[in-house]
Amino acid sequence: MNALRLSFNPAKTLTRVLASSFALFLFSAGVSAQDVVNRWGPTPSASSYGDDFDDLFWLITALVSVSFALVVILLVVPLIRDRARPGKKASYDHGTSLHDKRFTACVSIIVFVVLDAWVLVIAMEDLQTGFWNYPNPDNAATYKVEVLGQQWAWNFRATGLDGEFGTPDDILTTNTLTVPKDRPISMNFTSKDVIHSFFLPDMRTKRDVNPGSVNIAWFEPVIAGDFDILCAELCGFAHYQMYGKLHVLEQDVFDTWEKEASLMAQAAYDKNDTEAHWAWEWQE
Amino acid sequence: MSGDHIHAEPTSFWKKHVFSVDHKVIAKQFMWFGLLWLLIGGLMAMMIRWQLANPGMPVPLLGNLLFSRTDGVIDPATYNMLFTMHGTIMIFLGLTPILIGAFGNWCIPLMIGARDMIFPLLNMLSFWTVVLGGLVGLYSMFVPLGATEAGWTGYPTLSTTVGTQGSGETLWALAVFLIGLSSIMGGINYITTIIRLRAPGMGWMDMPLTIWGMLFTAVLNVLFLPVIGSAMLLLIMDRVFGTTFFVPASIMSGASGGDPILYQHLFWIFGHPEVYILILPAWGLVSDLLSFFARKPAFGYKVTVGAMFAVTLLSAVVYGHHMFTTGLSAMLGESFMLLTMIISVPGEILFFNWLHTIWRGSLRLTSAMLFSMGVIFVFGLGGLTGLYLATISTDIFLHDTYFVVGHFHLTMAASSLFGAFAAIYFFFPKMFGRMMSERLGKIHFWTTIIPLTVVFCTMFISGYGGMPRRYYDHTSASYLAPLQHLNVITTTAAFILGAAQLIFAWNFVRSRWWGAKAPDNPWEVGTLDWTTPTPVPHYNFKEIPVVHTGPHEFSHPKLGDRDWISQTDKLPA
Repeated sequence: MNALRLSFNPAKTLTRVLASSFALFLFSAGVSAQDVVNRWGPTPSASSYGDDFDDLFWLITALVSVSFALVVILLVVPLIRDRARPGKKASYDHGTSLHDKRFTACVSIIVFVVLDAWVLVIAMEDLQTGFWNYPNPDNAATYKVEVLGQQWAWNFRATGLDGEFGTPDDILTTNTLTVPKDRPISMNFTSKDVIHSFFLPDMRTKRDVNPGSVNIAWFEPVIAGDFDILCAELCGFAHYQMYGKLHVLEQDVFDTWEKEASLMAQAAYDKNDTEAHWAWEWQE
Repeated sequence: MSGDHIHAEPTSFWKKHVFSVDHKVIAKQFMWFGLLWLLIGGLMAMMIRWQLANPGMPVPLLGNLLFSRTDGVIDPATYNMLFTMHGTIMIFLGLTPILIGAFGNWCIPLMIGARDMIFPLLNMLSFWTVVLGGLVGLYSMFVPLGATEAGWTGYPTLSTTVGTQGSGETLWALAVFLIGLSSIMGGINYITTIIRLRAPGMGWMDMPLTIWGMLFTAVLNVLFLPVIGSAMLLLIMDRVFGTTFFVPASIMSGASGGDPILYQHLFWIFGHPEVYILILPAWGLVSDLLSFFARKPAFGYKVTVGAMFAVTLLSAVVYGHHMFTTGLSAMLGESFMLLTMIISVPGEILFFNWLHTIWRGSLRLTSAMLFSMGVIFVFGLGGLTGLYLATISTDIFLHDTYFVVGHFHLTMAASSLFGAFAAIYFFFPKMFGRMMSERLGKIHFWTTIIPLTVVFCTMFISGYGGMPRRYYDHTSASYLAPLQHLNVITTTAAFILGAAQLIFAWNFVRSRWWGAKAPDNPWEVGTLDWTTPTPVPHYNFKEIPVVHTGPHEFSHPKLGDRDWISQTDKLPA
C-alpha cells in the first residue's frame, strides 16, 4: 500500500500531463499562427445593413454586461459578508410583504423595458429597413442570383446580359459568385440533397438552403473585394470544406466581366448537357 | 390518502438490487447509469476539443485504441458521430437520468412523505427502457455501414437515406424513441405520485421547491416527449420503409414528397421544452438548497412557483427561435422573437428571488451551496446571452456559430450539471449513508467553474467572429483560420475542466465506500426526507408523517438557538 502511494503521485502526474499538453497547444498554435493574423471578432462589415448587426450586437453586449455585473455583485456580497459565523443569525424574511411584491414587479417591468422592449424595437426596425426589406426583383437595379446547394459545393446562376434565367447566356459558376458593388443582390436558394446554409460573414447574413422549397435573402455590398462564403448547416462529413468566394466588383469592372462571362457561357452552351440546366422559375 | 401503499421487501438478490421496484434503488441505478454516460459523453467532448485545437493530429492516449484504422486520427465522419453522440448522450443518457431519474425518484416520495412511487412497476420499467435505449445508442456507434452523423438534432434530409446510408442513424432514432418512452413513463408516475401521495397536511404550497421543479418537468415530459417520439417514428419509416414524410419530391424521383422543415417543427416543439425539462429540476433544487444553506426562508415562495409555472407555459410557445434562418414568415418570426423575450421576465424573477434568499442570510458554504450559487452564475451568463439569439437581426449572423454552442452549453448543460452536482453533494449522505469530502468538493467547484467560464466565454468570441459549429477543421477556411487561436484557448480550458471532474469521480467513489458515516440530518434541514433514519429503511417512513410547517422555516425568531424546524413540528405560536 505504501509502496503504491510512493510510486504514483496523482497530483504530480496530473500536473505533468497538463503541463505537457499545454506546451503542445502552444506549439501547435505557434505553427498555425505563422501566416495568419489572429482575430477576436468578425471582419469589418461590408454590406449596407451590416452595421445594424454590429451596432445592435454591442448595444445588447452593454445591456447584458450591466445586468450580469449586477448578478455577480449580488452573489459576491453575501458570499463575503454573510458567511456563517458563530452567533450570526440570518434574517427571517419570506418575502411576502406588499413591499416585496411591488419591488419584484418593478424590477420585472424595468428588465422587460430595458432589456427586451428596447432591443425588440431596434431589431424590428432593422428587419423592416434592412434584413427583410427585400428588393423588387423586377427592378433593373436588382442583381438576381439563383443558388443551388449540394454536397459539397455552391452552384450559382446569374441571368447574363438578357436578364432572364434559363437562357443560354446564363452565367453558371461553382463556388465563385461575382456581384456588382452598391446594388441590391437578390438571391434564391434551394438544395439538391440535404439542408445547407448560405453564410456570408462579411455581409452579416445567412439563410438556410432547403431541398424542396425556395428560400430568399438579399444584401447590398458596399465594399469591393473578395469575401468568403461558408456553409452553416451540417451537411455531411465534408461540411467544413463547403466554402466559396464572393467577388464584389465596382460597377464598371463588373460590366466588363459580365459581358465577357455571358458571351463565353453562350458560346459554351450545350443543350444536351441537362446537368447544367438546373434553373427554376424566379420566385416573387 | 393511500398512506399504506406498500409492497413487501424483496429477499432475493435480483429483486433487491437489479429488478427492484423500490424508488430508492431505482434512483441509485439511474445515478450510476447517468454518471457512466456522463463519463463517456465527457470523453467524447475531450476528443472533439482535441481535434478542433489540433486538426488531424492523432489523439493521445485513447487514439490508437479507438481509431486504430486511421492511426489514432479522428476522420471527418467519426468527428460528426462524436459530436452527434456527445449531444445525444449528455442530454438523454447523462443529465436526464441523473437530474430527473435519480433525483426525481429519490426526492419525490421522500420529500412528500410517501413510501414509494405510486406505480412502482412502471418506475422499474422506466429505468430498464432507458437502459435499452442506451444500449441501442451504444450499438449504433459500431455498426459496419456507418454510425449516426447528422447531429443530435438529426435534421432531414441529412438524417434520411439521402444523407446517411448506414443503419447507425436508424438505431440512433430508435434509441431516442426508447429514451423518450422511458421519460413519459417516469413523467406519468411523478405527476400522479405528487398529486396522490402527499403526506397529510402537505398542501401544494408546503412542498419543497424541488418537488415543484420535478412536477413541471414531468408535465413537460408527458406533453412533449410524444412529439419527438412521433418524429423519430416518422424518420425511421422514411429510412426503413421508404416513406417520404421528410423527403421532398424534387430530390427523390417517383416519390410523392414530404417536407424536411416539418421535422424541424416537430423537433423544436419538443426541443425547446427539453431545455426546460433539464433546467426546471435544477431550478427547483437550487431554490431549496439556497434557502437551506443560507439558513433563511426561500424568498417569495409562491412567486417562485408562479415564475416556474410561467416558464413551463412559455416554453411551449417559443420554439420558433431555433428556426429564424429556416425561412419562417416575417410575422411568425417576430411573434416568436417577442414570446422568447417574454421568458426573460419569469427568468429574472427567479434570479431576483434566489439572490434575495441569500441576501443577509448566514451562508454555510458547503460544496452543495457553492454549486447552487454556481447555477446562478452560469445560468446568468447563459440566459443573458440568449438575448442575442432571441433577437432575429443578431441571430441571423450568430445562428449555427459557436455563439449558440456557448449559449446552450451554459444554460442547458452547465446549469443542469451544476444543479446535479449540488444535488449529489447534498443528497449523498442520505442516499449512500456516508459523507462526501467537503475539501475535495470545494476544490472540484473552483476547478470546474473557472475553466468552464473560460471554455464557453471563448466560444462566444469565436461565434461572434463567425466560426460555424460542427466543423471538423476550422483552419482550412481562410475566414476561420485567424480564429484558430480561440480554439486552442477553449481546448486548453476544456481539458482542465475535464481533468477536474476526476476529482469529483474520486470523491464520489471514495466516499461511497470509505467516507465517514453520515448522521441522519447532517445539513440540519426540515424537509421530510431528512427525518428518516440513515440508511433509509425499505418503507421510508414507519408511520406516514403529518406536516405542520413549510419546508423553509429557518431562523424563525421564536426558535431560540436552533435555526431550523422539521416540517413535522409545529412552529411556536
